[in-house]
Amino acid sequence: MTRDEFERNKRRFGDDVDAWPAPFRQEARAFVTGETDRSPQDDPDRALDRLVLEAALMASDEEALTRKVLARIDASRRSTWSSFLPRFLLEPAGLAACAAAMLVAMTLAGYQVARLQDDLPDSELLALASGARLPDNGLSDNGLSGDGMSGIAADPAAGEDSL
Amino acid sequence: MVPAAVQHEKPREDYELLARVAAGNQGALSELIARHGRGLRVFAARYLGNAGDAEDVVQEVFVTIWKQAARFDPARGRASTWLYRITANRCIDQRRRRALRTFIGLDDVRDEVASQEPGAEATTAARQELAIVRDGLSRLPERQRMAVLLRAVGDLDIAAIAEVMGGSAGSAEQLLVRGRRALRDHLRDHLAMAAEGLERKSS
Repeated sequence: MTRDEFERNKRRFGDDVDAWPAPFRQEARAFVTGETDRSPQDDPDRALDRLVLEAALMASDEEALTRKVLARIDASRRSTWSSFLPRFLLEPAGLAACAAAMLVAMTLAGYQVARLQDDLPDSELLALASGARLPDNGLSDNGLSGDGMSGIAADPAAGEDSL
Repeated sequence: MVPAAVQHEKPREDYELLARVAAGNQGALSELIARHGRGLRVFAARYLGNAGDAEDVVQEVFVTIWKQAARFDPARGRASTWLYRITANRCIDQRRRRALRTFIGLDDVRDEVASQEPGAEATTAARQELAIVRDGLSRLPERQRMAVLLRAVGDLDIAAIAEVMGGSAGSAEQLLVRGRRALRDHLRDHLAMAAEGLERKSS
């Protein structure tokens, strides 16, 4: 920490260095007490903490951070609906996973619906088993042939009797 | 006597700022970011080993504070401890997310912040020492690294570290002691290696 930085922080955070936020506080203490030279008689833990802090420090722009945080808050206000969705669903991987799950679900649902529609009524199956010819014009809604008789009535045996 | 206009206004305490944030004051949030943004970002970056993730985490932390500042109770602890606790939890979540994404092949992440090899940037002994410490930090087990960083960057005492990490003071102290010991060993070994290398070069 330079003298200028120290004075600037003093204006920002007040005269009491111990009340400054970390890591400004540790840097200021080191500056005030001239502890930048790590003397061997110094408390080894404190010396290591100072070394770790020095190694960890990196350039930081709090103004940019503030702008980004406020933009996020603003965005979350505008799109309240998105707050009800888990965040991963808004990411490409989440969207892809959702799309795949929907595709599988729709395929299964399609098979179910198709199977229901293709279910032949028992009367038709019986007629088919006995070799009767189904009427060309199909069945009425209630599963009976157009003349109101069941498909079983067209039993070929009946025809043979009439000969 | 200094005129009133020239006198510096006494900076507000963190808990006062949090109360204002809870009331919807964006200026108080900006002040809170100016005070703690740097420390939280350094902590997150060195814990996660990735500056981009750290930036994201710290933004999330302040958005959370904006939404949940009313939940802070000054009677239960210091505001800075609360901020570091939220950040530590977010960092752990981020680490899990990153591990999952890497596992399923969505990410190929290298440590952006901590990837410097000791000696890569070392043009002077002091720089070399710092590079070795950064390398040592990145190799510490996660909980030891967190304890060491909370102490060195956040300037938290043992009780506060325990509160942030959700354990007892004894276990926090153990983590800190082990982390410091491992860092010292790493530093000693690498400095010795560097000295040997220099000797060989000169001979």
